[in-house]
Amino acid sequence: MRLSHITKSFAANRAVDDVTLDFKPGEIVGLVGENGAGKTTLMSIAAGELAPDEGTIEDRESVGIVHQHFLLVNEFTIAENLALSMWGRDPAEVIRDSGIDLRGFHRRVADLSVGEKSKLELIKAIAGRPRFLILDEPTSVLAPAEARELFDVMRRLAADGVTVVFISHKIPEVLEVATRIVVMRRGRIIVDGGAMSAEQLAEAMVEKRSRETSRRAGGGPAGGPPALQLPPLEVHRGEIVSIIGVAGNGQSELAANLRDTLRGHVAHIPEDRARDGLIAEMTIAENIALAEPRWNPRAATRRVAELIERFDIRAQSPLQRAGSLSGGNQQKVILARELERQPEIIVAAEPTRGLDIEATRFVHDELRAAAARGAAILLITSDLDEAFTLGDAIHVIYRGTLSARLTPGEAAEQAPVLMAGVGSGEWGVGARQ
Amino acid sequence: MRIGRKLPPPTPHYPLPKIAIAALAAIAAIALLAISGIAFGHSPRELLSILISGSVGSNFALQGTLLKSIPLLLTGLSVAIAFRAGVWNIGGEGQFLAGALGAFLAARYGMIAAIVASLIAGAIWASIASAMRLWRNAPEVLTTILLNFIAIHLLGYAVNGPLQEASGKYPQSDAIPITAMLPTLGASELHAGIILAIVAAIGAWFLLYRTSEGLRLRASGFNRSAAKWAGINVDAQLVRAMAISGAMAGLAGGIELLGVTHRLFERFAAGYGYAGIAVALLAQLHPLGTLASAFFFGALTTGAGELQRTAGISSTVATFGQAIVILVMIVFTRRNAGPERL
Repeated sequence: MRLSHITKSFAANRAVDDVTLDFKPGEIVGLVGENGAGKTTLMSIAAGELAPDEGTIEDRESVGIVHQHFLLVNEFTIAENLALSMWGRDPAEVIRDSGIDLRGFHRRVADLSVGEKSKLELIKAIAGRPRFLILDEPTSVLAPAEARELFDVMRRLAADGVTVVFISHKIPEVLEVATRIVVMRRGRIIVDGGAMSAEQLAEAMVEKRSRETSRRAGGGPAGGPPALQLPPLEVHRGEIVSIIGVAGNGQSELAANLRDTLRGHVAHIPEDRARDGLIAEMTIAENIALAEPRWNPRAATRRVAELIERFDIRAQSPLQRAGSLSGGNQQKVILARELERQPEIIVAAEPTRGLDIEATRFVHDELRAAAARGAAILLITSDLDEAFTLGDAIHVIYRGTLSARLTPGEAAEQAPVLMAGVGSGEWGVGARQ
Repeated sequence: MRIGRKLPPPTPHYPLPKIAIAALAAIAAIALLAISGIAFGHSPRELLSILISGSVGSNFALQGTLLKSIPLLLTGLSVAIAFRAGVWNIGGEGQFLAGALGAFLAARYGMIAAIVASLIAGAIWASIASAMRLWRNAPEVLTTILLNFIAIHLLGYAVNGPLQEASGKYPQSDAIPITAMLPTLGASELHAGIILAIVAAIGAWFLLYRTSEGLRLRASGFNRSAAKWAGINVDAQLVRAMAISGAMAGLAGGIELLGVTHRLFERFAAGYGYAGIAVALLAQLHPLGTLASAFFFGALTTGAGELQRTAGISSTVATFGQAIVILVMIVFTRRNAGPERL
């Protein structure tokens, strides 16, 4: 199978950018990259689930795909779930043919462990005898022994001439099982080759940053006790501390935990803007008033008109429905609401995700200004540029654990390795916390 | 029912289409009601004229309509407040009975005490459902319905047992003392409850649209998750909305007892709690819209009574009209104005 000059964009975001790849039978291809590098999009195109904007796929073979998230009916048994995709075949025989050890096919999927669920997904995928098998982050939920078992199945399939593509951001696993490694970054292929060291791979995955990227953010840290403390994390007044990491390593849980536990004058900028940011059905004025102890509709409307001006929100009136604004303007409304009351602590999760350059700069300026005013800011972001330009200090989050506090200089050097979990003493295949 | 909530269509909300939908529902209900009369050998035209004259055609008919509108207005407000807060309170019937029972027990202390007792009893009955929601995440759409059955049988037991009239003849209570009865307005049959109900509607509007409590209540109803991120205690909103909603339904029951029936009996609720759902939906969950909508259903009910007397058609056709209104409203309303989880 051959992918040539594949390009795919989602709105303004080019997820896959002119990618050409040749696959040979019997290969185990480790497809690695940070979240958002375009791995899953590229493979969805290879599987025929997405149509590319440009480019062609030659010699498409029968493709099996195991998605990152389970596509199983929890209330059904293993046998019933198999029957959904291959009606009429004996489930015992399907499982035996797959060579995967999964017993008791009359058990309900809801009662299975995550490891067993992922085995069932794999059985479903290979029961159709694909010549090309895509596994999207299959080990993220597996215990080490289960991951090894999966690798054995992959090797056996490859020996039968199946091309296996293994999408992962876990460097040790990729090095263990892949016969060829393809690294993607921002929709492009950066490396395509065979043997690499863990450090080489980590550096290819994460963009190299110079030690000079750091700059003083706002006022700079003030003395006294930290405003926010969650060992090893400490954020002082006037300081911006960035938390970086590959998505899904506990960032959302950290933000939700801080939302539920921090008391006092705290502002939160939620990560999932569409779901958690604004009440789409209510007006801009009403949304901003949510944070206020007392609400007077008329006074609030007047004040919001000023905020619209100051935050440069492209809206016709304070009484416009918040849901009718563009993403960037919605984010500005959230900022206006959260920053307007001069919080002492700000927890900002992915504050510029999906924003254009101008809106991003605006958000950054506002955060800096808040720090200069003396706010303690915790910035949780997957945008490393943002983390390094704004952060006075940086922590890396990996599997729910924070690294020690790093200076931006140290972080520029160590972040790739820490983010990929190399050298953390573990092989990155333990059950997720 | 999370489908389609991610990206709401970017249309500003003009009031016109909403009113148009409500008008469509009302007209559809009346039209179908009139047409169905063919099955009983009456022309739609004839039925329509009976319906109108029997509900608003005379002073007497209008009084009947207004009398019926009072409990409908309050149970409608009850549903509107709960739905606005994203809580499926289907328990108006039970809260109505709890309110009536509370009012009955407090009646000997006078009218004011009885009214307050009906508010509190309704709120407590509804709060059982919020307690179960918070404690075990039990869906209130189920618990409130089941609480209805419990309230109905509780009342049945009471009027056959401890609260049965002294003569022991019928399964009903004695009449409440005259000091607890609501005064009538002038020479009409209409009682002071109508003033209470209208004040309640205006109060509910003020609460929802002019206070920060109402703002947070509506925010929790539209998007629980975003409300949480904005720093709102959504569980507190649920408890509050449920209590206010229950108090409204309880007040309806109390007023019905103090103003109309003056005694409790087995079929006391007569469907007012459920009819509140139709009233609230037709009003687009707006407290002031409830005024018009309750009047419409009040007219439908008294008109249907006239149909029974003159055309021999069962007055249950009023329920038929309610069902049509609910269906039309559900089918044509954008699904972001009410509770979304079920």
